[in-house]
Amino acid sequence: MSNLEVWDGTISQKDFYVAARTLVERWKQVNPSLPQWTWIPSKSTLMGSSCKEEGYLSLENMFHIDRNEECLIVDSFSEREETDDVATLVHSTSNETHIYDFHIVYSFSYKVPVLYFHGYQSDGQPLSMDEIENDLPPSSSKILRESKWTYMTLGEHPYVRRPWYTLHPCATSDWMKLLLGGTSMKDLDISSYLLSWLSVVGQAIGLRIPLELQQSSNSSSSRRGATKSPTGTEAVEARSGQ
Amino acid sequence: MASSPSPSSPSLNSGSVLQFDRFQSLVDVGFWHRLSSLKLDTLGIDQSPITLVGFFAPHSRAQVSNHLTLLSESLPTAPIDHASSIETNLGNRNRCPVPGILYNTNTLEEFKELDRDNLLQIEANKILEDIRLGKVEEDSTLLLRFLVISYADLKTWSFRYLFAFPALVIDPPATLMSLQPATQMLTAEEAESLSAACNEWRSSSLTAGIPFFIVSINSDSQATLRPLKDWESCQGDQNKLLFGFYDPCHLKTNPGWPLRNFLTFICLRWKLQKVRFFCYRERLGLANLDVSLIGDALISIPTDFTEPQYIPKVVGWERIGNRLALRCISLAESMDPQRLAASAADLNLKLMTWRAVPSLNIDVLQTAKCLLLGVGTLGCQVARTLLGWGVRKLTLVDSGRVSMSNPVRQSLYTFDDCLNGGRLKAEAAARNLKAIFPAMETEGIVMAIPMPGHPIPAQETASVLEDCKHLQALIASHDVVFLLTDTRESRWLPTLFCSHENKILINAALGFDSYLVMRHGAGPNVSTPDNNLECRDDGTAAVLMNELSLKDVGAKRRLGCYFCSDVVAPIDSTSNRTLDQQCTVTRPGLAPIAASLAVELMANILNHPDRIYAPGEIASSITGNSAQPLGLMPHQIRGTISLFSQMTLLGYSSSSCTACSETVLSEFRNRGMDFVLQAINHPTYLEDLTGLTELKQAAGSFELDWDDETDDDAEIQ
Repeated sequence: MSNLEVWDGTISQKDFYVAARTLVERWKQVNPSLPQWTWIPSKSTLMGSSCKEEGYLSLENMFHIDRNEECLIVDSFSEREETDDVATLVHSTSNETHIYDFHIVYSFSYKVPVLYFHGYQSDGQPLSMDEIENDLPPSSSKILRESKWTYMTLGEHPYVRRPWYTLHPCATSDWMKLLLGGTSMKDLDISSYLLSWLSVVGQAIGLRIPLELQQSSNSSSSRRGATKSPTGTEAVEARSGQ
Repeated sequence: MASSPSPSSPSLNSGSVLQFDRFQSLVDVGFWHRLSSLKLDTLGIDQSPITLVGFFAPHSRAQVSNHLTLLSESLPTAPIDHASSIETNLGNRNRCPVPGILYNTNTLEEFKELDRDNLLQIEANKILEDIRLGKVEEDSTLLLRFLVISYADLKTWSFRYLFAFPALVIDPPATLMSLQPATQMLTAEEAESLSAACNEWRSSSLTAGIPFFIVSINSDSQATLRPLKDWESCQGDQNKLLFGFYDPCHLKTNPGWPLRNFLTFICLRWKLQKVRFFCYRERLGLANLDVSLIGDALISIPTDFTEPQYIPKVVGWERIGNRLALRCISLAESMDPQRLAASAADLNLKLMTWRAVPSLNIDVLQTAKCLLLGVGTLGCQVARTLLGWGVRKLTLVDSGRVSMSNPVRQSLYTFDDCLNGGRLKAEAAARNLKAIFPAMETEGIVMAIPMPGHPIPAQETASVLEDCKHLQALIASHDVVFLLTDTRESRWLPTLFCSHENKILINAALGFDSYLVMRHGAGPNVSTPDNNLECRDDGTAAVLMNELSLKDVGAKRRLGCYFCSDVVAPIDSTSNRTLDQQCTVTRPGLAPIAASLAVELMANILNHPDRIYAPGEIASSITGNSAQPLGLMPHQIRGTISLFSQMTLLGYSSSSCTACSETVLSEFRNRGMDFVLQAINHPTYLEDLTGLTELKQAAGSFELDWDDETDDDAEIQ
């Protein structure tokens, strides 16, 4: 590929690995109090030959806490009261916690990153599409409703091998090309690819993306889109410490 | 980071009953996937208890207690399952392994009738025995034994389950003398040293998975963590001793559940009555002594506990508030392969609307009820292409059986369908479509289509009449009719009925190397939805329309049917050679081409606002893109493989048509099935009725055949 060629918005698997390392580092600097992105190397390779670049990024246990009372007792089980046990603490209310896991997987077909995610209640029950949408800040719901690139669907996670929600990647290269401006291959800082990508995708799914993630990166790329105010601050716990 | 502790917290009520915060469970979807495959592939109806490994970790996130978690790795490995890509890490600091047992029943009744008291008691007895025999010093996780009962309904992919975290009950209960953030109870030096020691313990793969330990702090404020088996050697020196445990609980006011059996163990085994315990908690993966707690408890074990035959009291079924935390989890969305297939099939269509054709109406296709008359080479291929468009409701009509020669050309059948005389095509096709895509709603109807020129013996009249009525009812109850039979005369009755019911009819016919695909126009005397103009026959002979007036006239004139351009009524005759009479010898690629065109034509019609009234368009009359989302709306498509060429044609209805003219329709409406029978039994009746006889006499030996047509875009009439 010539250096002068106009970049088409895609990246190679090796570049994905490089960009993933950058994201992990930047996230750690900017969000030390949140769960961390980690690189999960794949043991069984998708493409036949195994190499260190094969794997995916994982961010697990992001919490979304509601103050609602839990309601999950489902049917009339012959209920025998346990002997009053004074040594057990009985909560009057409990928080309903939704837990989200996010994975970024490289798509060999589209040559772009693909977001896979799933959410579940604190007992492990997976969240339905409706429940996920309820957790999203209004700005994200709007993006999901109105943007054509955010087609959310249930698809098999290529590594976990179970259906996870995913944002279909077939427009990703187009908007990445827009986002990083008609950069030629030569000027492209591929290591910042995922930071830019996440700044867009994160908005759609309410994943809080701190501005600093983009701003203090030394990317030479255009900041269009990346400097939009982050949405979804309420969606995912962002408190540090206590 | 952590805020400063609040020593004045009202919860520090010294001398009160020590209350433990319950353990909570979390079951990852992967666990149920693994359990399902284990059940299906290995266990069958075996209900023996299954050994589990649960995982937990110290509390680490504000406001949230850590849960005891079941993952796919919690179950024994099924030999068939290669899907897991998550590794089981020994010494994974966030996955401290805990032994458990699962009772999974085969039925809901058995699940409800499980003797829960007894099952819990068995686990409690094991815990007590492990304490007595000294096993706990070797493996402290035995104090955390847990129990799960479940019923896995693999038909509906739903799972009911209930957890228990058995805790031995001692009476009187332990008394809490004080409970403070660890930093309040230690000097800064001690706290620093303890943090370092804990971090070391938690980062070593040898100790990270050991949830109970002894903290020994010497006079130099240096803390060390020791395993329980070092108890003896911790005695004697004058060090301060704390009994530490990984505390999953986030509350400042209460310790978590693991402490409960730990205290009982300490008291029973080591005869201590006053215990200083250490609730170890973390932040950001490191020890945090602001959120960790240190407390003092007084505990006395009743003497009967030490008697060898003592049956301990036990509590521990998971509860929310006071109610049993019986849970039901439904994974149909992520496990039911039929649902997965349906959503995957939809995805392709939705993607089409997303990028290529945003205005495409998929719903109208998916909900369309399609009737396929004939399930041979064309019918099979039409059905398959309809699958691709998301059509779910198909009714297939054919009277034949699958013969040995069929499967190679008729893509819905396999060799097995030919055996033992062959399955009925209608039924085999309906069944095989469901095998290809289970969401299909298919029905096979074994019926021969009554044909003109095939006189009916008197004794069969009643059954043929039944067939006629059945066919009419079928056409009335469907949205689109595909006419895919292999004789010309079998197309007459469906054409008549569709014309009468004003149903969309798509006709495909094959020659050896040429094909015709067309849609029939609306029936006569029907108002168009838009302009209320009456569609009527134009009795004039064929007129070549210029392009300007074409659209105008087309809106008012009915499109023709298969028989409109014929000057002979359908009869059982070999002298009148039409395309389909040669269809047993067609080039194999032809049927898929024609069938695909037929389905694509349907997609265009259903997406056109005027549907059956949509004016016919020919390729040259449209410059650039058509106004319709899917493009041109042709009337007839005719192609020849020998020339690799294809053209669109337009033909209007004929007042002499034997199947759709006003004359024929009004006769049918007046006389009903009597008219049909007469047409079937008397070959010349239709020609006489429509004036074709006269026309033929006038035109002499003039005969129009498809093969004579060569003019592009010519109107045929």
